[in-house]
Amino acid sequence: MKYDIVVIGSGMSGLMASIYLAEQGLNIAVVSRGDPICSVSSGCIDIAGTGDNTLDSITNFPHEHPYHKVGKKGIFESIQYFKDLMEEHGNSYSGDIKKNRTILTPIGKHRITSLVPLTMKHADISKDEIFHIISFKGIKDFFPSYVKGIFQNTDISIFDAGTHTTMGIAAKMDNDNFLSSFIEWIKSQKIKQKKVGLPAVLGITKSPWILKKLELETGKFFFEIPTLPPSVPGIRLYRRLKGIAGGKGVSFYGSADISDFKSEKNKIQYITIKKPGRPDYIDAKAFILATGSFVSGGLFLDKNIFKETVFNLPVYAPIDEELFNQDFFKLGHPIEKSGIIIDKDFKAKESGYNNLFIAGSILAHSETMKFQCGHGMAISTGVAAAKDAQEYIR
Amino acid sequence: MKGSFENCIRCTICVENCPVYKVNPEYPGPKQAGPDAERFRLDGIETVDKWITHCTQCKRCDFACPYGVDPSKLILNAQIRYVSKHRKTLPQLLFSNFHYIARLGSLFSLITNFITSQSLIRKLFKLIGLRGDIPFPKFRFKTLQRFRSKSVRTPIDRIMINKPKERKAAFFHGCYLNSNAPDEGRMIISILEHFGIKVAVPDQVCCGLPALGNGDLVKAKRFAKKNSNEFAKFINEGWDILYSCTSCGHTLIYDYPEILDTDEGELISKNTWNLYEYLLLLKEEGHIKFDFEPLKKVISYHIPCHLRGRGVPYPAVKIFKEIPNLKVHIQDINCCGFSGSYGFKEKNKKTTDALGHIAVESLEEHSPDIIISDCGACRMQISNFTDTRIIDPIQVLFDALGLSGG
Repeated sequence: MKYDIVVIGSGMSGLMASIYLAEQGLNIAVVSRGDPICSVSSGCIDIAGTGDNTLDSITNFPHEHPYHKVGKKGIFESIQYFKDLMEEHGNSYSGDIKKNRTILTPIGKHRITSLVPLTMKHADISKDEIFHIISFKGIKDFFPSYVKGIFQNTDISIFDAGTHTTMGIAAKMDNDNFLSSFIEWIKSQKIKQKKVGLPAVLGITKSPWILKKLELETGKFFFEIPTLPPSVPGIRLYRRLKGIAGGKGVSFYGSADISDFKSEKNKIQYITIKKPGRPDYIDAKAFILATGSFVSGGLFLDKNIFKETVFNLPVYAPIDEELFNQDFFKLGHPIEKSGIIIDKDFKAKESGYNNLFIAGSILAHSETMKFQCGHGMAISTGVAAAKDAQEYIR
Repeated sequence: MKGSFENCIRCTICVENCPVYKVNPEYPGPKQAGPDAERFRLDGIETVDKWITHCTQCKRCDFACPYGVDPSKLILNAQIRYVSKHRKTLPQLLFSNFHYIARLGSLFSLITNFITSQSLIRKLFKLIGLRGDIPFPKFRFKTLQRFRSKSVRTPIDRIMINKPKERKAAFFHGCYLNSNAPDEGRMIISILEHFGIKVAVPDQVCCGLPALGNGDLVKAKRFAKKNSNEFAKFINEGWDILYSCTSCGHTLIYDYPEILDTDEGELISKNTWNLYEYLLLLKEEGHIKFDFEPLKKVISYHIPCHLRGRGVPYPAVKIFKEIPNLKVHIQDINCCGFSGSYGFKEKNKKTTDALGHIAVESLEEHSPDIIISDCGACRMQISNFTDTRIIDPIQVLFDALGLSGG
């Protein structure tokens, strides 16, 4: 099969690149090994969590940081593009791209982020605010007493949903009859507080509608508290983006183990997907590599040797002592700096390939944990790399 | 590296994709049933419990896993072991022998269809662990095999006379298309012939999936051997194998190399094609041209799990894009919950019904004129929840090619 551009990786970065390019009328394929890490994320969009103001904090990021290659205007526009897309397709995000805010976590602490799904709009609980928590009988991976430990005036009500997993409860919420009985139960609880928090189970597919119905019928404000994976808000984010891409004509290759590729005259010609039966060969004029960092499998560290797993590109790696004479769980561990170094038009430096563009957390110096910029960086570098790839094939 | 359970990092992405976990609190999900439990199984500790049979083998976990673990394969092996250590239930015995049931059912179709529709018999079904509340598929006397004239099912030496450059397809129809939906099978053959492809319908038995799914590896192997012997002859004479039933196809491509101990498994796997993938490739290479009549319809396409698992862009959708005025909505997030023989068992009723509801609700979201699905079992299940017409995608192609008129 032949495409204009093939995107490798179906995470935030790859999907945003593919959506942008498909909207330009190009024939796009996304190739992925499996579902991305964003599907187990909280669904919130971190842009830069090191100060009150997102874009201003970026000024202080090290000069090698990929954000500087996109520029503040590019960052703002691409995340606005994401926000508009989600709103158009019914999964609106709340918040100001330029500002940070907080959400309540399941251990009662705050977490800084920028854009949040509508279901978390009211999760910016202040220090001595009094709110109510609804939990579920026997639920795994959510312990409301952690929150009560910090917010001691919180009341907790427990609903018996007849199942004990977040996925199971969320699937039931999508059912109108179940939702009605849940709402009736809430009314019977005579909750005094205006704000009600609950684990993130407000439906897998119908969350905006469920939230609206809850608030209309009870007169309360509800907010979701993200849970351990499986993460329902993460599933919503991933499925919505993939659905948007599919709707714009993007072709998907899944469960794809890229075993080989062919290059000629500094250009990658095609990639080979190995699978039982015959392999698939996928041709394109340009490729975008958005396979993520170590957890996502884009990078691999084996006995001190750093590898990029698809094209064996040169990888920037911090020196040995820096790497191992450290507390591994310390924020800002140097291993976070490793990745692919790019030039100004998002091509891998010294790779020798002219039609290969790089995006997302595989980029060197991104340090997404230290700077709390994961999804924001993925979106903005995804769109930026897509623009450069489009320019290249023109 | 592929397939090793040690690659599992417990991210729970598989769990997010498991339809059974979503609706059945008794099932711990693919992470625990697969790689987690495997560690104990390797140590010889018995962890296999009854809940292992809750898995439908939809393979969505394999498809979702970013680390190359195939939880469904680990679970299938545990299921086979569970069944081998316990007395087989009647439904398990029945469905691992579905091939014979389908053949007999067709031969005595009048009697079978009459009996299976009687309320007393249906109560009896429930007693032996089968569902009595959903219709049993109707068997057809004039099977696809019976319909094809003897001259097409020629012995291999007559086939050799063919011109070498001719496109030749040996059709693997499987049980459902043969015994229950032979009309669709005939449409497939006439479409292939319309595009100048020579079609043969070789002698064949069940692909073996129902036997595998009901824990009978020996029988699955026997079926696989029989089919691969016959089809290998065709492949060696330059024929390609085509399938339309996505579960049969998945078995031929993914399971034959593993369950057969001969090289023939690989040979079958390499030369087997999804019908629409094949047509699409012929078109890309310029051998055939699509010339469709407009079809003013809104279609919801329920993607069967085993088509999704192929990991290629849905080939029928790519073909349908060229039919003027046709609007296709893809629905691949939900498993219909039926999973072949799984859905006929009384013990799975709750899971199957809950998933059927979810799937049909999203199929009807766009108020379609028709619903389509490649898989006969999916169609059966969906028809239990909706009045919308549900057909095989081949019928859409048949209409768009103007073949239904003449």
